[in-house]
Amino acid sequence: RLETRARRGDRSRRNSIAMSIMSYNGAAIIAMVGKNCVAIASDLRFGINQQQTTAVDMRKIHKIHDHLYVGLSGLATDQTTLSQKFKFRHNLYELRENRKMKPETFAHVVSNILYEKRFGPYYAEPVVAGLDPETGEPFITGMDLIGAMAPTTNFVVCGNNEESLFGVCESMYKENLEPEELFEVIAQCLLAGVNRDCLSGWGGVVHVISKDKLITRTLKGRMD
Amino acid sequence: RSSTHIRAQGRVDAPQASSTMARRYDSHTTTFSPEGRLYQVEYAMEAISHAGAAVGVRTDHGVVLAAEKKILSKLLETGTSSEKMHKLDDHLGVAVAGINSDANILINSARLTAQRYLMTYQEPVPMEQLVQTLCDQKQGYTQYGGLRPFGVSFLFGGWDKNCGFQLYQSDPSGNYAGWMATAIGANATAAQAILKTEYKEGMTLLEAKQLATKVLKQTMDSTKLEAEKVEMSEVGWVNAETKENVEYRVLQTKELTALCDEANAEAEAKAAAGKK
Repeated sequence: RLETRARRGDRSRRNSIAMSIMSYNGAAIIAMVGKNCVAIASDLRFGINQQQTTAVDMRKIHKIHDHLYVGLSGLATDQTTLSQKFKFRHNLYELRENRKMKPETFAHVVSNILYEKRFGPYYAEPVVAGLDPETGEPFITGMDLIGAMAPTTNFVVCGNNEESLFGVCESMYKENLEPEELFEVIAQCLLAGVNRDCLSGWGGVVHVISKDKLITRTLKGRMD
Repeated sequence: RSSTHIRAQGRVDAPQASSTMARRYDSHTTTFSPEGRLYQVEYAMEAISHAGAAVGVRTDHGVVLAAEKKILSKLLETGTSSEKMHKLDDHLGVAVAGINSDANILINSARLTAQRYLMTYQEPVPMEQLVQTLCDQKQGYTQYGGLRPFGVSFLFGGWDKNCGFQLYQSDPSGNYAGWMATAIGANATAAQAILKTEYKEGMTLLEAKQLATKVLKQTMDSTKLEAEKVEMSEVGWVNAETKENVEYRVLQTKELTALCDEANAEAEAKAAAGKK
């Protein structure tokens, strides 16, 4: 059977797709809580069919409003569609209620949108990171592809190589870090965490969100 | 359908012993009169002529919408929501004249249309598209279903990449048109007349605001214009030099007070000069 496929020039379809649709494109995302700030970071690789890297400027973190960001891993097309849906819902919310969404509220909206497709899901796992628009309290949560939230007070990760990402975060994370320190920690965690994963990497992007300031920096890492 | 057939349907409302021909044809929204008029639509416009006035002025630097507040009471909780001005999207706002509850339905529908367009095309909805979709909805209520028309007229002010800053007016019939300056609501014809003489090409946004204030003052019942009785919003560049983004913005009390004081002073000066 393998030979037949090779003769048809179908070599690439041997095993890859059967593995996992969540590994088709590749991503790594981390979010961390600091002192009155949150940070969210992602890699920049965009691959097709696991083996081919097609772009190295693929943004996986999307801005909902000044103090609310959502990062999405998984299938790229679902990432794009979902981020557009989230923007849609938030725009209407802002028009009707005349205020910006709190991160917890937004996380519930995301969860709801994902669960609507419980038996034919979007193949994307989101990470929500933000500050309460009024109190400035940090909030982060991760979710599986059908919307089960897991809010924490320290960090959340998602992507193809979650084990590595968890590992580096567990060792390097400290509570109550100031924005610049938090940037340093999350950047190092991301770069170290993606090294063992061939589906993520090729640089990274970090956003550190505080009440009055936003730090966005692009990371240069191993381009492989 | 002949008129006898309609009468036979047993409508309880219209008294048969009435003077004008209109009575027989005005209870069904979706029927023409013998003179070719849709009475329900005209009655809806009549309702709007009793509502607070709204004025719109378009310039190359932005669009100004000004309106007279009808509900004035110290007991009213003002909050953040407005009586006459509503944002439809980042680049679009409306001023309302007519039945507010009807307006809310249409505004909600317009907001959904704008977001759906943004979702599909990933660019902000062009103004005329939105106005047309809303007007198609209004028109439906004059032709199908036997429901009464919406008793609202809108002034849409906004910007899009294709045609720049635009001002549109729509009425209960579902007709709409683009204007350089126009007015709806109470004393609209008087306001239009003033706009016709005073509007000039190439006005700045400030001059447009001053013109809108002046027109409102002359068409409102009171002699002195006060900031509490007026609402104003504008769609203009966030940064006039870079011209990157437009935003819909409701004017704050401070700016409104300044404009009202200016209009009052000008009127007083004119009156004093006239007396001499």
